[in-house]
Amino acid sequence: MQSEMLNTFQQDDHDLLVKGDANDIARQEFVKSLKGAIQQNMLPMITTAYYQRALPDYLSEHGNAPEDYKEARNAFEDDPLFKAYLSINRSSQELQWFSVLDPLEKSIDDLDKAVESIKASGGSLSLDPNFEVPKYVSSIDIHCMPGGYTGPEGAHPLHAGALYDRGVYLYAMGFMGPHNDDMGRSVVNYVQRNFADFKPKKILDLGCTVGHSTLPYAELFPDAEVHAIDVAGSCLTYAHHRAESLGAAVHFKQANAEQTDYEDGSFDLIVSHILLHETSQKAMPKIFKECHRLLKPGGLMIHADLPPFENMDAYMQLILDNETWYNNEPFWTAMRNIDQIQLSVDAGFDREDVRFDTAPMAIMEFANQDAPEQVNTEEDPAEVEFVAGEYAPGGGWEVLIAQKQS
Amino acid sequence: MSNNTTSNKTIKGKRPAFFESRGVDYLMHMVMVLTQELSVTRDRLNTLEHLIEDKDLLKRSEFNDFTPDHACLEEREQSRQELISSLFSVMDQEAAELAQKDTKERFNDVIAETAKA
Repeated sequence: MQSEMLNTFQQDDHDLLVKGDANDIARQEFVKSLKGAIQQNMLPMITTAYYQRALPDYLSEHGNAPEDYKEARNAFEDDPLFKAYLSINRSSQELQWFSVLDPLEKSIDDLDKAVESIKASGGSLSLDPNFEVPKYVSSIDIHCMPGGYTGPEGAHPLHAGALYDRGVYLYAMGFMGPHNDDMGRSVVNYVQRNFADFKPKKILDLGCTVGHSTLPYAELFPDAEVHAIDVAGSCLTYAHHRAESLGAAVHFKQANAEQTDYEDGSFDLIVSHILLHETSQKAMPKIFKECHRLLKPGGLMIHADLPPFENMDAYMQLILDNETWYNNEPFWTAMRNIDQIQLSVDAGFDREDVRFDTAPMAIMEFANQDAPEQVNTEEDPAEVEFVAGEYAPGGGWEVLIAQKQS
Repeated sequence: MSNNTTSNKTIKGKRPAFFESRGVDYLMHMVMVLTQELSVTRDRLNTLEHLIEDKDLLKRSEFNDFTPDHACLEEREQSRQELISSLFSVMDQEAAELAQKDTKERFNDVIAETAKA
């Protein structure tokens, strides 16, 4: 898809989106283009280097091919093309944040004025001044975003959210849609197609950051009450005002998904989007248990994240493992080695009520409306080949679905 | 002087090394920054071409067909030489040191002598 057309995607404007001058925008556009070129041009180069240079050398030395990402790294780490790829990819990530940070710092006070003019739309914001941000979020700046999810110390309360909103759009090169909401939209579509009679009255989104994935739930389940939690106050503050600006009623609250103060059986649907890989080995089982506790009987838990390493070849594992080491993603690789089905069973779900599936990317379906046969809706997720360079593997998001016994 | 060496652009989490030499790591990043700025300039020029055409002042084809006159050639050559010269300044420094037979030993001697004098 990407190689056949030029990417001219643009983010939809809203009251809080960082505004920059023409040169700021040009810097951001460059980052978007650079990231596209890294995926489309550099990745094939290093894939060739791996299979034509590193792999034969490894084979002649060891007598067998690398079996996992660790062995693949061992085979490939000294390759000059691989090093250039890693280094340029890292710079693209830094330039991405810096290209947003510069105009943000120039215009941060305008955000206060923007907030004043936003009309309430029925949502709410609840922050906890004594909240303790978990170490797995505060120890390093995840995704190399300066200041991390909580923002630099003493920064403007909207700083981290504003930086994240625009930065993520550039990171995704627009493939998450004009509101960065493709994951939420895709999961809602999936639920509405596969659970036609399921009409959730109360929905909870875990680790919502600025609410990119949350808003489609409010839009597409208009009768539901939508709640969203996160550990980062700055992201939540931004999320609240952004939601109001876009006319969505969402109740944002600062809380840790490992343990919340909602009552047992509060929700019909609990979702998360690319949250799990930002937590930890000890946090993940707690989050699954908390989901089970908070669900009503018959309710659904859905975690949309990236595919496990199981059934993925060593080279693809290596390309993904790079995120851990070169993009400040501490739990990215470890999370992929966890048996999430077992974790769900341990949390109280029945094994036969837990499965992995693929939720087709809403944006791909939209783009392929004229060629619906290209849309992958029925494929067994185990059969979907992960292709490096695609924004989501096989044009869909990996979802773990568990239903609580009624 | 401030001893605060972090800025809002500081990323918590040790930046990885990519090449054997740290200098190459710096250089790779600098090249990316320069390319970004070049891209910014190109976008700016593209804006200019569009605006000029939109206002019926010139056609974009005229930019391609433009033949610089002598004054313009001089202007450009001057500008290019300055750009290239700034690019070569680090090598100029080394050539000047060789010409003046300046050495690291002399530098160290100056430090040592200054400490005593």
